[in-house]
Amino acid sequence: MAGFPGSPGRRANPAAPWHHVDTTLMASVVAIASLGMLMVYSATHKKLQDAGIDSATYLKRQAVFVLLGVGVMILVASIDYRVYRDFAPVIYVGGMTLLLFVLTPLGSTVRGTQAWYQVGPFQLQPSEIAKVVVIVCGSTYAALHRGELDGRRVAVLMAIIGGPMAIVYLQPDLGTALVFVAILMGLLLVAGAKPRHLGIVVLLGVFGVVTVFQLGVIKQYQLDRLGAFLDPAHDQKQSAYNLHQSTIAIGSGGIRGKGLFKGSQTNLSYVPEQRTDFIFTVVGEELGLLGSALLLVLFAIVVWRTWRAAALSKDLYGTLVCVGVLAMFVFQIFENVGMTMGIMPITGIPLPFVSYGGSATLASFAGIGLVLNVYMRRFS
Amino acid sequence: MNAGETPALRLSVLGIVVISLFAALFSRLWYLQVMDSKTFLAAAKQNQVQIVYEPAPRGRILDRNGAVLVDNRYRFVVSLPRQSVTQHPDVTTRVAALLNMSLDDVNKRVADPRYSQYKPVPIADDVTKDVAIQIKEQQDEFPGVEVTRVAERVYPNGALAAHVLGNVGQVTSDELKKLRKDGYREGDEIGRAGVERAYEKYLRGEPGVTKLAVDATGNVLPVALGPPKRPVPGRDVQLTIDAGVQRLAEDSLAQGLEAARNTTDRDSGKKFTAPAGAAVVLNPNDGSVLALASYPTYDPTVFVGGIKQAVFDEMSKKENHFPLNDRAIQGQYPPGSTFKLFTSLAALDKGIIDPRTTVDDQGKFTIKNCLGEQCVYRNAGGLKYGKVNLAGALTVSSDVFFYQLGATFWGQRAKAPDAMQEMARTFGLGSRTGIPLLGEQPGRVWTPADKKRAHEQRPKDFPFGNWQTGDNVNLAIGQGDLAITPLQLSSAYGAFATGGLFAQPRIAARVLDPQSRPVADLPMAPTRQITLPAGSDAVRQGLQLAISDSKGTGYPAFAGFPLASFPIAGKTGTAQVPPLQDTALFVSYGPTTKPQYVVTVVMEEAGFGGSTAAPVARRVWEGLVGAPPGPVTLAGGGAD
Repeated sequence: MAGFPGSPGRRANPAAPWHHVDTTLMASVVAIASLGMLMVYSATHKKLQDAGIDSATYLKRQAVFVLLGVGVMILVASIDYRVYRDFAPVIYVGGMTLLLFVLTPLGSTVRGTQAWYQVGPFQLQPSEIAKVVVIVCGSTYAALHRGELDGRRVAVLMAIIGGPMAIVYLQPDLGTALVFVAILMGLLLVAGAKPRHLGIVVLLGVFGVVTVFQLGVIKQYQLDRLGAFLDPAHDQKQSAYNLHQSTIAIGSGGIRGKGLFKGSQTNLSYVPEQRTDFIFTVVGEELGLLGSALLLVLFAIVVWRTWRAAALSKDLYGTLVCVGVLAMFVFQIFENVGMTMGIMPITGIPLPFVSYGGSATLASFAGIGLVLNVYMRRFS
Repeated sequence: MNAGETPALRLSVLGIVVISLFAALFSRLWYLQVMDSKTFLAAAKQNQVQIVYEPAPRGRILDRNGAVLVDNRYRFVVSLPRQSVTQHPDVTTRVAALLNMSLDDVNKRVADPRYSQYKPVPIADDVTKDVAIQIKEQQDEFPGVEVTRVAERVYPNGALAAHVLGNVGQVTSDELKKLRKDGYREGDEIGRAGVERAYEKYLRGEPGVTKLAVDATGNVLPVALGPPKRPVPGRDVQLTIDAGVQRLAEDSLAQGLEAARNTTDRDSGKKFTAPAGAAVVLNPNDGSVLALASYPTYDPTVFVGGIKQAVFDEMSKKENHFPLNDRAIQGQYPPGSTFKLFTSLAALDKGIIDPRTTVDDQGKFTIKNCLGEQCVYRNAGGLKYGKVNLAGALTVSSDVFFYQLGATFWGQRAKAPDAMQEMARTFGLGSRTGIPLLGEQPGRVWTPADKKRAHEQRPKDFPFGNWQTGDNVNLAIGQGDLAITPLQLSSAYGAFATGGLFAQPRIAARVLDPQSRPVADLPMAPTRQITLPAGSDAVRQGLQLAISDSKGTGYPAFAGFPLASFPIAGKTGTAQVPPLQDTALFVSYGPTTKPQYVVTVVMEEAGFGGSTAAPVARRVWEGLVGAPPGPVTLAGGGAD
């Protein structure tokens, strides 16, 4: 059987994948996820307690997600990543089916976005899974041509990623749709698209954004949130409220922070959506610059190890898978942390491993599983 | 292109992009948490503390004997948060039922854009205590519904002393710019007129301040933020006004005006209009005002909770004679013959006459070498009084005697210029008495120089700039460029009555705490001693005879009054204010042996002072000496 740790016959094989697991990456991810659970607890325990509910409710659920996530990570890592390449069409069709059916009555709507399947007590968000699907399938297609991406192939790659992106956008979930754009850009850059084509894609993106605004395709609340980013002092009571309160939370943390569980902005619920999209404000307020910087450094390690896996990959396909994961993480980290600090527009996007949420946590761990997979099989 | 190299190069590009993005995050984090952290810390603190102000009840206003003139009443106001209507329609329904309102009404009130979006909107004012208690006791049933206690002014004596008491109103946003440092806030009340305004700093209490920890939705958290500061009620202010005397003065004035309206004016042949007047009762020894009456008056409750525009418009109509004006301090009237006191004193002072000097009054006075328009001046009614000295002239109010003095003053103007004006000013005429009530007028005592200046500055309003003998002749009997307020006249006569002790009129005596314990006496302004000229006793005698002598102009009005036990001195006045009917004046003090009161009555378009104003004063005197005051009976005849 393929390389199980401890199987006596294989111990001497220096190329055995399990000898090359990136423990630094795993440790960083586990550290981030642990900090995340603590932050989820801090953001929720007070409110739950006041409501007379077990104050650890969200903590427990997030712990379950993390444990499941670690399982998914190991599972994804243990199957040779090249197997995914072989099954890419099947995986793609499966992902698209999940995405499409969520728009039918099978899916449920939460706060105006039709993006969830109710699975027992949990909600499954197929758009999160679709990100990983797109990374695998996009890389598969791009790698087929060994760095020779002409215009037609660029268009096909755009279609492969653009399809699921369009469905996610229709849910509507602007933030997650943008993650797909980041993955596409990352793949095009590294897979060998001509600078000219890259330029065209960027232009198309700009054109698309302008069209979307001009034709009113973007919903009013999305415009409001973007507008709040452009002029936060303009209307603090309305859409800029989130941004205003989140910068207050982070800024008031100062260097040392107010102490764990002692953030007034956090405890008094001044920051909305705090356990999910605005979880970074808890870090900023309660743990200060020291805690926030530590978290960002841990993220930087994850990104560095992912980049290193991409660089060391045995094949272009592996490189591209890692680049896709890297693009996904970097975009989500930059957008999420950036929006809480007012340097990016506010869109609903979770902070990997930290924000409360099952599907996002599982998808992030799956992404790390892919990176571990590529890295440990760099010799085999 | 080498497939092996390209990804490496491109991966480096990717790496650089990633490093830049992380660098951006770090620098922003540094800016927020290190460079600008203080700003955000302050903002976070402010987020959590909501300061709730509880207005303090205003102090009461009491009369000199402790009777309550202005009190507070509490009413309960029910308020509903805006979001309740959408979030808890059941609560809204329950509240509507409890308040006996339709759901539509409640919704309409809640939608009222005048109220802040972040505070509950008042939906019912002045609900019963039972309703208030029900909401408080069953707060679970009425989440978010607030019951607040609001104090408002009540006037147990109705319109009594309305002008003196004044009113309160909401502080304006303009005023707030200056007053915020004194603790005023939006919605606070502030004294607008009268005693309410003058003694604002005592009457206003200190609002209670409670600091509450609140979360983002405004829920109050059980976190201690220091002990709440209880509201400190305002101090009570005790006036010098005597409610009984005030009522006596107001009633007598109203009765007298009513009687005058039923009397025919001999000059015009029409009934007197008698639309307005004022009466003052003053203690000349310390300037305490016991009564300050102005007619027509108004009900001060119209100002409670803000005066309605229609009511205010009604009060501002000419045909209603401006009831808001306090004629006792704002009305400026020619003093008529009541001015003869000052002419007399000036003449004695300058040695023009002595008490024995006589003038043969043949009913008219002709200016020698006359150049002016009017050269012949007559007594009122053309009466002849024969040979009169100073006391006699004051008794009968001989104009001719004083015309003569006016002309003589003019003749000696090089030696003693403006002698009459100076004497009048010494007694406080022509300048505000300084009583701390809003809108007091200074009156007018003009000299030739003043007249010239007025003509030069506003030739249209003052077509004549030259002062001639006739002006002085007119001035001597209190006509011409001369105006007094009833309070000024009272205080001037008071100073004469006390032998020259000039005391500034005062309206409030002391400040009390809510348990009626004295906190502070309001200090009197320093008194001033006026040296009366030699021969002043003759003046005193003349004023007394004006009341007690059968030839006196005030005699008819005081017929039957116990003058023997309570001697009174006084002077009638009848001022011509063409084209209007004559203004009736009467000013008196008593007992002459040791003056305790000055009583002054001024009535617009009401005829002779002796026949109209003096009877009103008599009724006031009756009350003051302890006799049951009868109805005002106008005196017959009279010539001044």
